[in-house]
Amino acid sequence: MKERPSRREVLGGAGLLAVAGAAAAVVGGCSSDASTKTAAVGAEPDIVAFHGANQAGILTPPQQRLVFASFDLLTSDRPALETLLRSWTAAAALLTAGKPIGPVEPANAAAAPTDTGEALELSASRLTVTVGLGRSVFVDAHGRDRLGLAHRLPAPLVDLPPFGGGENLDPARSGGDIALQCCADDAAVAFHAFHNLTRIAHDVAAVRWTQLGFGRASSTGVQSTPRNLQGFKDGTNNLDTTDAALMRDNVWVGAADTPKWMEGGTYMVTRRIRMRLEHWDRSAISDQEATIGRAKISGAPLGSRDEHDTPALAALGPDGKPVIPAGAHIRLAAPSENNGLRILRRGYSFSDGIDPVSGELDAGLFFVAFQRDPRRQFIPLQQRLALHDALNEYIEHEGSAVFAVLPGAAENASLGGPLFA
Amino acid sequence: MRRLRVVAAGAAVAIALSGCGSSTKTGASGGSGTSARKIAFTLTKAGCDPAHLELPAGATTFDVKNDGADAVSEMELQQGGRIVGEVENLTPGLSGSFTVTLEPGTYQTACPNGTSAAKGDLVVTGVAGSGTTVASASAALAATAVTNYRAYVESEVAQLVITTTSFVDAVKAGDVASAKALFPKARIHYESVEPIAETFSSLDENIDARANDVPASTFRGFHRIEQQLWVAGNTAGMAHDADELLSDVKRLQAFLPTVKLEPAQIANGAVELLNEVASSKITGEEDRYSHTDLWDFEGNLEGAKAAFTAVRPLLGKSPTLATTIDRQFTSTRDALDQYQTPGGGFVLYTALTRTQTRGLAAQVEALADSLAQVPPLVVAG
Repeated sequence: MKERPSRREVLGGAGLLAVAGAAAAVVGGCSSDASTKTAAVGAEPDIVAFHGANQAGILTPPQQRLVFASFDLLTSDRPALETLLRSWTAAAALLTAGKPIGPVEPANAAAAPTDTGEALELSASRLTVTVGLGRSVFVDAHGRDRLGLAHRLPAPLVDLPPFGGGENLDPARSGGDIALQCCADDAAVAFHAFHNLTRIAHDVAAVRWTQLGFGRASSTGVQSTPRNLQGFKDGTNNLDTTDAALMRDNVWVGAADTPKWMEGGTYMVTRRIRMRLEHWDRSAISDQEATIGRAKISGAPLGSRDEHDTPALAALGPDGKPVIPAGAHIRLAAPSENNGLRILRRGYSFSDGIDPVSGELDAGLFFVAFQRDPRRQFIPLQQRLALHDALNEYIEHEGSAVFAVLPGAAENASLGGPLFA
Repeated sequence: MRRLRVVAAGAAVAIALSGCGSSTKTGASGGSGTSARKIAFTLTKAGCDPAHLELPAGATTFDVKNDGADAVSEMELQQGGRIVGEVENLTPGLSGSFTVTLEPGTYQTACPNGTSAAKGDLVVTGVAGSGTTVASASAALAATAVTNYRAYVESEVAQLVITTTSFVDAVKAGDVASAKALFPKARIHYESVEPIAETFSSLDENIDARANDVPASTFRGFHRIEQQLWVAGNTAGMAHDADELLSDVKRLQAFLPTVKLEPAQIANGAVELLNEVASSKITGEEDRYSHTDLWDFEGNLEGAKAAFTAVRPLLGKSPTLATTIDRQFTSTRDALDQYQTPGGGFVLYTALTRTQTRGLAAQVEALADSLAQVPPLVVAG
């Protein structure tokens, strides 16, 4: 058993956070043990540092579990949003270090607990908390200023166009003002973070939709390629997050980009992609492989031997047709077929029971992608996929959102600081 | 409408010229003995290259390559307005081919969306009757299965042309009540052979796309007219759509002789039809304005049954599976028939409870799972 940094050590009063309080005051720790832990953040093998130039949960090797939430702002009061982000910053720093955000058993018997308590004996589990803002924070559907932030709207933070290809978006599972992505190797830890951060938000923002995910559905360079629910390796050709130049060019908003306040941030696109698993499961292995463009077990591109072989897109078979069919998913998504454009995928599988109408599994991929500019990256890529991807027969895009992921916060700074500066 | 076209990826289609129905072959099979002359043809941003061709009569293979033309992905060879051969879905860098038997006369080439050479021509000189022949060496049972299923498809599409003509006439006459009554009756003959129609992906989109399948500017066909009839309650602006629908349906009929069929593909078609029921009829997504989804359900189910019936004699070694599928077809049909109305036809989708849709779905899924076991058992050779 690995050592679990106990949340109990700080129950005495460290990290007391006023739920929905005006100021997210972290009362000074009266346990030296707790402050030692704080200082040791990053040294613990299962603690991911919260502070930094970029938020965690983007390049972090994907954890096993996801709790994602999109919130609607309940106010047009800019300071209220600023305060919420400051409160979340303080709370997230504690949560990601494996600590509760306040007393689970308050001294005052008449008080409700500050931390809900369900993660008490659990380790930090590599929890990351990642926050973004939707276009609707800056301007409403009619382009009107909402919080006095219209002049700060980043140009890349666009509404996605309709794509066709069987897209069937549910407004109740799309959009939103604030994104909260909680990832951890333990589902209870990810949920605890979401649960407590939602309590903090309560009169400023309300949950619009959530998505639970499991079994990371992407590889980001240092992990083996996982399989999606169709049984295929997914993410073989994803960006290698250890390659700083790739990240600079494709993921992070740079110093030369506008707006300036987004430097160190990125743009996140989420798509709830339902898979028609029953139909997929019934289709012949040859059809499945032709649809994806890879062999099922090895993950090798059709016509090649190993998973990481470069797909031979130009190769023709004895019948004169491309070995990797024209509509194969890997052909259409290949950077070489898309003017070199690339995105960083960090999605999760989901299973939300059954479709109440048909009884079929309501399962699929919660697609999450990060990029420097969706207008140049996700949008043209998806336009191409929507028109030609053979996979469209087996999937349906049901939810969609775009968020500006805030730059990271240094210690003693708050998420959103540069936005309000 | 199925979400995406797997089949037509770079697929080649060759159409028999009028009066010589037996002399067609698809470009892909290649090894039929008589070698066809090859013509290199390129899709460019301008369109067709070359735009003007002169060739002697005889079997000719068009090797078409897309040379970096993003907007141009299709090449058609036409004669007197009829398409006699085409390749489509050629994205930049891809090649495809088709073979036709050219007869003396003038043909037109079309490379839609080309900037300056979207149309071209081809003059054929020489004598008629120098075509290729196709040698088919399948087992007798397989041949019979194909023959029987082809006859079914042809008769359904003939019905489709007749019923669509009536529907289109009503739309153009502005007779909303008649058009609404004729809508499901026309569609049922499309739904019964949908996997075949989907072989021609652009036709399937033209005829059967739902609003969310295609960009709004290209939304046309049955469901566009359905939207106008039920949402707007009139036929305003639909005359052109109606004409296009009828012409697309007739093009489908003209294409049928070129469809290459084999038993495993026919059996797969049965599975696809049941998948269609599960994904778009059980959910009410297909006929979202008229709610006549159960008519389409019947078309899909009967089409699947016809496909299965055609290949059933090939299941000699698996009599239990065949018997199971027979029983499941009967029980699925019985489940659907509960919702028949006295005057013929079915209740609207909106009349069904969730328990009822779930009951139908359970039957369909079980039948589809059984049907999915058929293709590997009937593979030719």
